[in-house]
Amino acid sequence: MSGKTRRPAQEAGLKRANFGDGPGLPTLLLLPQLLILLFFFFIPSLRALTQSVLLSDPFGTTVQFVWFDNFKTLFASSEYRQSIAVTFWFTVAQNVLTLGSALVLAFATDRIVRARSVYRTIILLPYAIAPAIAGILWAFLFNPAVGPLAQMLHRLGIAWDPNLNPTDALILVTLAASWKHICYDYIFLVVGLLAVPVSLMEAAAVDGAGPIRRFVSIALPMLGPTIFFLTVMNFIYGFFETFAIIDAVTKGGPAGATNILVYKVFVDGFVNLDLGSSAAQSVLLMSFALICTLLQFRYFDRKVNYGV
Amino acid sequence: MGRKVAFIAAMFGALALAGSAQARVEVQWWHAMSGVLGDRLNELVEKFNTSQDKYTVVAVAKGNYDEVTNGVIAAYRAKRPPEMVQIAERGYMTMLLSGAVIPVQDLIEQKGYKVDFSDFIKPVASFWSYKGRMSAMPFNSSTPIFWYNKDHFQKAGFDKPADTWQELESQLYAIKSKGISECGTVLPGDFYWSLLENYSAINNQPYGTLANGFDGLGTEFVYNKTKVVSQVARLKKWLDDGVMQIAGQGFSPEQLFTSGRCSTFVNSTASHGNIERNATISWSATFLPHESDINPPLNSTIGGGAIWVLKGHTPERYEAVAAFLNFVAQPETQVWWHGATGYVPATNRAYALARERGYYKDHPTREIAVLQLSRGTPNENSRGFRFGNFVQTMLAQRQEVEAVFAGQKQPQQAMDDAVKRGNEILRQFEKLNAGKTPETERP
Repeated sequence: MSGKTRRPAQEAGLKRANFGDGPGLPTLLLLPQLLILLFFFFIPSLRALTQSVLLSDPFGTTVQFVWFDNFKTLFASSEYRQSIAVTFWFTVAQNVLTLGSALVLAFATDRIVRARSVYRTIILLPYAIAPAIAGILWAFLFNPAVGPLAQMLHRLGIAWDPNLNPTDALILVTLAASWKHICYDYIFLVVGLLAVPVSLMEAAAVDGAGPIRRFVSIALPMLGPTIFFLTVMNFIYGFFETFAIIDAVTKGGPAGATNILVYKVFVDGFVNLDLGSSAAQSVLLMSFALICTLLQFRYFDRKVNYGV
Repeated sequence: MGRKVAFIAAMFGALALAGSAQARVEVQWWHAMSGVLGDRLNELVEKFNTSQDKYTVVAVAKGNYDEVTNGVIAAYRAKRPPEMVQIAERGYMTMLLSGAVIPVQDLIEQKGYKVDFSDFIKPVASFWSYKGRMSAMPFNSSTPIFWYNKDHFQKAGFDKPADTWQELESQLYAIKSKGISECGTVLPGDFYWSLLENYSAINNQPYGTLANGFDGLGTEFVYNKTKVVSQVARLKKWLDDGVMQIAGQGFSPEQLFTSGRCSTFVNSTASHGNIERNATISWSATFLPHESDINPPLNSTIGGGAIWVLKGHTPERYEAVAAFLNFVAQPETQVWWHGATGYVPATNRAYALARERGYYKDHPTREIAVLQLSRGTPNENSRGFRFGNFVQTMLAQRQEVEAVFAGQKQPQQAMDDAVKRGNEILRQFEKLNAGKTPETERP
């Protein structure tokens, strides 16, 4: 990195696109994206914000303005606090597990020469499976009554029962959610590894560094930006996209043990028809995600080395 | 040129034909029936459609009860509701006070049909009516009954399951200790309905104040001071002793019963269709057990759904709706539906008709639900459950019971917490609906 001095665009390898004069064409080209944002992000967000200060019946015939009562009720409720704690453990564990496994797999397939693409395809397969199906699959495999893997655990003397034991349930959904997301991280890491200069690796090999040493000391630091990006993406995945898996595997139970924030938003809004509370929760969830992302960029971004 | 004119004329002709074919008034009915029950529902609609040439009812499956409710709310807010929707009993207060529905009795009478509303069997009629007027058309009414594996009981030396929980317990423990079955019973997915609410009704325990909510919005739950607490403790004990199992997500309790793994199973009488189709065991069914110190046990209460009519359509469409509801209320239709699905016949005449035809001689288990529903004299504790935000309070209760099962809470503590949470939810409903009276406005 050349510090803060700006290099001319061309020198930096960037091309200046030329749209001619005036804002007409660029605006036109941006318009589709802006419209999508408007209809699928800004309008819904605004609706969520307004709904979060209202108490209304599901059909919308009676609406009362209640200031911040919905938020107050939330913070006073122990289930909501439990949900925050569960979400924290779930996303962190999921993040570590997903990234860790993806790194090991990326390292392994990078080493293998024969049939590499076959392995890659197999690793990528879970991505093609719908989350709900993946959830059912895991729920079945680990079902204490009929699941083959649960039977195996029982034979090992482990009293596995995700229907009864909150910890088991949390482990199960974490495993299922990570398994579903490993391939996403894996794709980025494989591509990242391709960008590591061969000359560096060869030089290290000549100097006598083994494959693991080369991976840890050379490839890993160079993957920094990718890993950083993936960490953010994993958090967002854990926050927002694991809903279907939770629904299929545990329905938030037992006793709220896997009731992560996004699932609670769904249940309170679409099952309990408590729209005000659900909207307040989604506003909070959105703020959490925003703060997390900002913090990550603010503090962790500095430790990431973008230079090659 | 001439050909063009001919072509245009032909197009108009086709349009006119299409127009005449559409002379039938089409109305939509969103429902939550799937599997065998969904097939039967489609047959029912087909029967109505072919029975006359003025109206067409289009049945649309919209997923489970929650999904149907959400669908209809979204559609109503977008001002495009279906004419009719099937809503589960738990949604009664929400629908009644929604301001979005037309009471079916008003509609049917206004359109000149004669439906004898006094003939509906008591638990059904009293549940679905407000101040003596029917709010929704009872459609699929059910009640939980006790299913059992005949072979397992015979092998253990019993004729059939005992009438009381106490004796039943010793039977289930005997079945387990003799190695006949690993699993005495399986926890139903809707245990809050069958093993807590109906348990309260049958054993004459109050569940909430104000006649379980029938007398107003100011109701409060009180089941933390009744036998429900010891019932939860009983279930926990069975679970710990391995006499009861939980099927878990992605797997239905019914499968554990029909495959012969679990000896007994409490579930809706509406499971008849599925159990007849899937069971590989010799099964039978009987009344739900009651506590040994309760004599006589009272009636159980209904679950299932009813057809609600939504506002916002043209008078001619309501003609079609009234015609269909009238069709549903006919004894012939009721008898057919009862036989095809296992749901309770909604009217006394339909029940009498089924009896006359000797239906229960071949299908004795089909009569249990009706007999259980009409047992004893219904009182405040057994008339039914009518709470606002009922789904939400039930989920809170469910979570607390799960905490007992997980060993995190004692039954008394959990039920106290469930009642406390439930009452907060009831107060919110009361706050929102204070002073509202249900719609009596006519279309």
